[in-house]
Amino acid sequence: MNPVRLVTTGGALAYRALFNWTTPAMYAGTLLAGPAFQLIFFAYLGRQLQVADDRFFIVGNAVLAASTACVFGGTLAVGNERRYGTLGHVLLSPRSRTAIFAGRVLPYAGNGLLIAAFTLTVGTAALGLRIPLAALPGIVLALATGSLACAFFGLTLGAVGLRFRDVWVVSNVAASLLLLLTGVNVPRSGLPPWMATVGEFLPITHAAEAARTLAAGRGFGAAAPALGAELLVGTGYALLAVLLLKIFEAESRRRASLETL
Amino acid sequence: MTTLRMLAIGTLLHAKHLSRSPFEVAMALIVPLVQATLAVHLFRSGDGSHRLIEAAVGAGLMGIWASVLTGSGGAIQNQRWQGTLEMIMLAPRRPVTVILPITAATAVTGMYALLATLAWGRIVYGIRIELAHPAAFLAAAVACVLGLGMFGLLLASTFVLLRNANALANPLDYPIWLLSGMLVPITVLPSWTLPVAAVLPTTWGARALREATVGGPVWPSIGICLAIGAVCLVVGGYCLTVFERRARVTATLALS
Repeated sequence: MNPVRLVTTGGALAYRALFNWTTPAMYAGTLLAGPAFQLIFFAYLGRQLQVADDRFFIVGNAVLAASTACVFGGTLAVGNERRYGTLGHVLLSPRSRTAIFAGRVLPYAGNGLLIAAFTLTVGTAALGLRIPLAALPGIVLALATGSLACAFFGLTLGAVGLRFRDVWVVSNVAASLLLLLTGVNVPRSGLPPWMATVGEFLPITHAAEAARTLAAGRGFGAAAPALGAELLVGTGYALLAVLLLKIFEAESRRRASLETL
Repeated sequence: MTTLRMLAIGTLLHAKHLSRSPFEVAMALIVPLVQATLAVHLFRSGDGSHRLIEAAVGAGLMGIWASVLTGSGGAIQNQRWQGTLEMIMLAPRRPVTVILPITAATAVTGMYALLATLAWGRIVYGIRIELAHPAAFLAAAVACVLGLGMFGLLLASTFVLLRNANALANPLDYPIWLLSGMLVPITVLPSWTLPVAAVLPTTWGARALREATVGGPVWPSIGICLAIGAVCLVVGGYCLTVFERRARVTATLALS
């Protein structure tokens, strides 16, 4: 199998096998309806408290919508191999772990992009937000960048799952913290400085900023620095995921705890 | 064994069971605090800085509902996964008396969320816990637990027929938080949502807690919350019996 096929076909097969929410009911309920309701909740809360305008909440929560699929997907990409007893087989493969796991991230990122686009569409239609047509390509790029960074963040959490047994706690807490620290719902100027600083190193933060800049019609040039920062964060998590997978794999072999649940 | 004793012992049993799960404990400990922090900073960022105690109480109530919803979604499914659904359905008692303790236990453990968010608000953000009616607040909290537990039973009863009950339960957090006015007053919502909000026990539970916090007629709200909860209990009990029989006939009770 050539490397490209390993990444694409391997990633697609792993997505079908390991992502628990691919049934129509689970997909629509958890990944489409949930984020749309979240967006509407925060938009009404923001209106009532006069925290910011609708654009702030609609665009921010649309970017964040990718996180459910990406964070939990990344966790499942590693965690479910262990649950189904196939992790050992994957790690016995003579192919590059980096290529195997990088391939797994791509379907989750694509899925995240789809969910984010759906949430943005629902949010704008339900709450009457007008986004300049010229801004749409840039916004799609911001959503894609946020989804990719988030998927690598999820893979990092999945790698942590090789060391800690209950990876669901880690991923659920991480998903909650994204809601708080990325400035999607609370303007970062309203957060304590340490929280805002932590948010700088999380996915979604810069993608949401870029998408808001574009939705405000300020042009791609104004959003480019934030997009670059999001790419940097995503790359950082990709490297961290690869490093942690190597370390924890070696550690799990040494301690004979590879498939301990 | 009297029915009340069975319900009490069942609730205690399931609460103990929940407390043995590191996942349940960690989520119950951490998520309400994150929600409380989010609510406090949102209220501070806007024009709600004088209503921080409402943010803390609202976030606590959100935690109770999240716990009940997760518990209700998993009430049947978890028994299926554990292989104990047939056994509890074979018990010589009505199905309602064996399922209600599961949802009641989630509401009881969810009470921690309310206590934790208030303590968090006091310790971390210096929010003064000045309740207009302290005794009524306690009564409202108990009414919330009972009302939400009975509402959870109604949800759980519909989940007997569904293999992926979580698919229905997962997206229901935010709509109920919104429609019940836990953080957003329902008066700012579109008018068509008001009749829906009026039939939810969560709306009246949230209202009772808010009135006990800032002042207002608490007891009518408590009464309505419990009355709607009782209706949920009756309807849920009926549905549970019908759906359980149907699942037995079609031999789908244990399918997951």
